[in-house]
Amino acid sequence: MRFRTQRVAYWYFAVALSLFGLQLVMGLLMAAKYLGPDPLIDLLPFDVAKAMHTNLLIVWVLAGFMGGTYYVVAEESRTELYSERLAYIQLVAWTLMGATAIVGYMLGWTAGIKMLEQPYPLKLVIVAVMLLFFFNIFMTIRQAGRWTLTEGVLIAGLVLAALLYLPALLPYDNYTVETFYRWWTIHLWVEGVWEMIQGSMLAFLLVRLSGADREVMEKWLYVIVGLVFMAGILGTAHHYYWTGVPGYWLPIGGFFSALEPVALVGMAIYAYAAIRRSGAAHPNTLAVHWTIGSAVFTLFGAGLLGLAHTWPAINKWTHGTLITAMHGHAAFYGAYAMIVLAMISYTRPYLTSNRPERGQSLGYWAFWLQVAGMFGMTLSFATAGIGQVYLERVMGLGYLDTQLKIQIHFVMLVATGSLFAVGVILYIVDFFRFAPLRVAAPHDEGAAPRHAPGTV
Amino acid sequence: MTKRQSRLFFLVSTACFSLVFLALTLHSHTRFGELTNADKMDAQVIAGKDVWHSNNCINCHTLLGEGAYYAPDLTKITQQRGEAYLAAFLSNPSKFYSEQRHRRIMPNPELSETEIDDVIAFLDWVSQIDNQGWPPRPILVSGATFPGTNTQKASGVASSEQAPPAAAAAGEQLFSDAATGCSGCHSIAPGVDLAGPSLAGVGERARRTVTDDGYTGSADTAAGYLRESIVAPSAHLVGGDRFSANGTSFMPTNYGTDLDADQIDALVDYLSTLK
Ligand code: HEC
Ligand code: HEC
Ligand code: HEM
Ligand code: HEM
Ligand SMILES: [Fe+2]
Repeated sequence: MRFRTQRVAYWYFAVALSLFGLQLVMGLLMAAKYLGPDPLIDLLPFDVAKAMHTNLLIVWVLAGFMGGTYYVVAEESRTELYSERLAYIQLVAWTLMGATAIVGYMLGWTAGIKMLEQPYPLKLVIVAVMLLFFFNIFMTIRQAGRWTLTEGVLIAGLVLAALLYLPALLPYDNYTVETFYRWWTIHLWVEGVWEMIQGSMLAFLLVRLSGADREVMEKWLYVIVGLVFMAGILGTAHHYYWTGVPGYWLPIGGFFSALEPVALVGMAIYAYAAIRRSGAAHPNTLAVHWTIGSAVFTLFGAGLLGLAHTWPAINKWTHGTLITAMHGHAAFYGAYAMIVLAMISYTRPYLTSNRPERGQSLGYWAFWLQVAGMFGMTLSFATAGIGQVYLERVMGLGYLDTQLKIQIHFVMLVATGSLFAVGVILYIVDFFRFAPLRVAAPHDEGAAPRHAPGTV
Repeated sequence: MTKRQSRLFFLVSTACFSLVFLALTLHSHTRFGELTNADKMDAQVIAGKDVWHSNNCINCHTLLGEGAYYAPDLTKITQQRGEAYLAAFLSNPSKFYSEQRHRRIMPNPELSETEIDDVIAFLDWVSQIDNQGWPPRPILVSGATFPGTNTQKASGVASSEQAPPAAAAAGEQLFSDAATGCSGCHSIAPGVDLAGPSLAGVGERARRTVTDDGYTGSADTAAGYLRESIVAPSAHLVGGDRFSANGTSFMPTNYGTDLDADQIDALVDYLSTLK
């Protein structure tokens, strides 16, 4: 930590990790409900658990993005934050918003739109928090009078994400039109502007972890983000196929979404090449694991498993089955959970006192248990989904009877999900083991690599 | 490639593809009305959409294939189930499914009668959306046999003494065909009641029904009763309040008009073979 105010990042990460833990409780509960019967049906029925699961995910990942951004902006613009107090107020407002939403869902207070369940007043709070955030960031950059491309892409990603949330504030009478614009938020987030965030965090981490040349990294960052938008914008149509839109969206969606993995391949090569050049010499080996892990798991979960069902002729059969859940988990985890965990892993030696920079076995267990657990969960959803597609969609067996035939895959989901949860618990324990630092550390960790390749 | 060039690539490609996307979005708006029958989207349909949202139905079910995977897709549900059935189901779902058998159950959404009517109107409007013919074959809520296959016969449940005549075979096809939908509500295995009663032995039972004192319909032969059951389900009710309410059967009433005479004959022939 070069700047005292970067310590706000610690508290954003602390909130993010706590909500991550809570998200998994809901995930495991839902997996148990798949197996049924459900003793909690009156207290916490499936729909409430699912709204909590997905909303907690979005709230914690965004908290991670915001904390990471505060850290990055201070460092890249080489300045203290404009207002540390504002950053804390923002965090409290964000956390309260999340908590209110969760309690609200339990009491039946919901907008009932998938992933945009936040009731209207809370949607306004979200907008207000984002405005506060951008104000603080812009003032910080203004006061520093300088910014880098890496942070520019990061902030642009966040601003665009906020803008794309706005269609969710409008009322729609027509369900098809509502669905159409829901994807402006959800799809253009995860396959558009959030990838700017992931890409720039990757660039930030790679420059520091590998000593890669900043000019080269930033040049390729443009190319990657360009590729993301080239395929991802028109790729939105892979969600339009069966919702009541004109037929031309089918070939357009199929073609452009099939190109989306190109950018993800680029991202994986980008990370791999940068680290390879330096021979993974940075002492924070765990951060290296998480960074490379994020790029590779994204390629698997979003690229490969997205491609698997994105073509209309296939999506016709898999649409709305557990195949979607398979892809949703692997993609979201690889792209956005892992990049936040990478940011946390990289920054935590600077945010906490006496933490050794080099990875320790607790951290490795956390990494490998999570990767193995998530891989197993993906397989469980995949095998369940394939069974569902064949029995229910192709052969015409009833939905409920099909679900009975694929119970064994739900058992597998509980088992692998538990493995994953252990990995997450270890990560959380590892994070909270060291007390947060109050003052800026004397060491310098500016843009220049502190460890020349091979020296450590 | 220089950094300048890569920036140019980013800016130009993003701008171009955003423009194309916006143009197509504008064009789509000129088509939505027709594709979704917006003229049929009356106040009741919109009220039903609000019921759908405020009860969080989307976090168990999928609609148009989007939502959660814990409960069946409801895109075409009103074409598979009659309104009377859906109204009865929504006022008390646990009457229709057992948690013991299917291991999951829909909690009672505690809707008022108007809300129930509204949400059914909404679902009916959704079922008419021109959505490229999705799903490619109907998704059934329940049904333990594969429609269109002969697994029933192979298992011996539906065996009749002689080989069924051609019309009965066609009737069996129709019965199992997911588009007709009979097998989504009726199994032909003894004791397996779905949304409608099991039709195991209904050919034999029909003979007894028409001569029974409690019979309220107007048929006087077994075949006549089976025909009546299809075209006028409420003429005589069987199975108690799980299958009907206020004298109205939960079986859809559209078969008399939607099936042609040959098809109904074939179904009657087929059902007559179930002894
Ligand atoms: C907690 C999960 C849950 C919620 C919330 C939920 N459902 Fe269901 N629903 C189910 C399940 C499970 C079934 C399968 C039948 C059963 O087991 O009761 C079902 C079945 C149905 C059926 C089909 C019944 C049949 O036999 O054809 C309809 C129609 C339906 N639900 C409508 C709704 C509506 C409308 C809402 C919102 C007001 C809703 N559901 C909310 C879980 C849910
Ligand atoms: C939405 C569910 C549903 C569908 C679809 C449906 N039925 Fe029914 N059916 C019922 C219910 C409920 C009853 C019992 C109430 C009654 O007597 O009408 C019934 C009763 C019957 C009976 C009388 C059974 C007896 O024991 O006397 C026959 C015969 C029958 N249905 C045939 C058919 C045929 C043939 C089709 C397809 C063309 C069909 N049903 C489609 C729900 C359905
Ligand atoms: C980082 C990237 C990605 C994330 C986080 C992600 C996440 C998700 C999620 C959560 C859903 C379910 C959405 C819903 O139903 O509301 C989904 C659906 C889908 N995704 Fe992705 N995705 C990513 C990238 C991709 C890519 C690159 C492709 C294609 C190559 C793709 C193809 C699809 C398709 C076709 C569906 C629709 C599934 C259906 O028909 O039910 N995704 N994705
Ligand atoms: C213990 C681990 C977990 C378990 C057992 C679990 C289980 C589940 C279940 C059962 C669903 C509901 C699917 C349905 O609608 O029927 C779900 C949805 C979802 N989960 Fe998880 N989950 C876990 C962890 C995670 C993690 C770590 C992430 C992301 C990083 C995640 C992201 C999602 C998403 C995006 C959805 C919505 C998918 C969709 O609707 O298409 N989950 N999860
Ligand atoms: Fe998408």
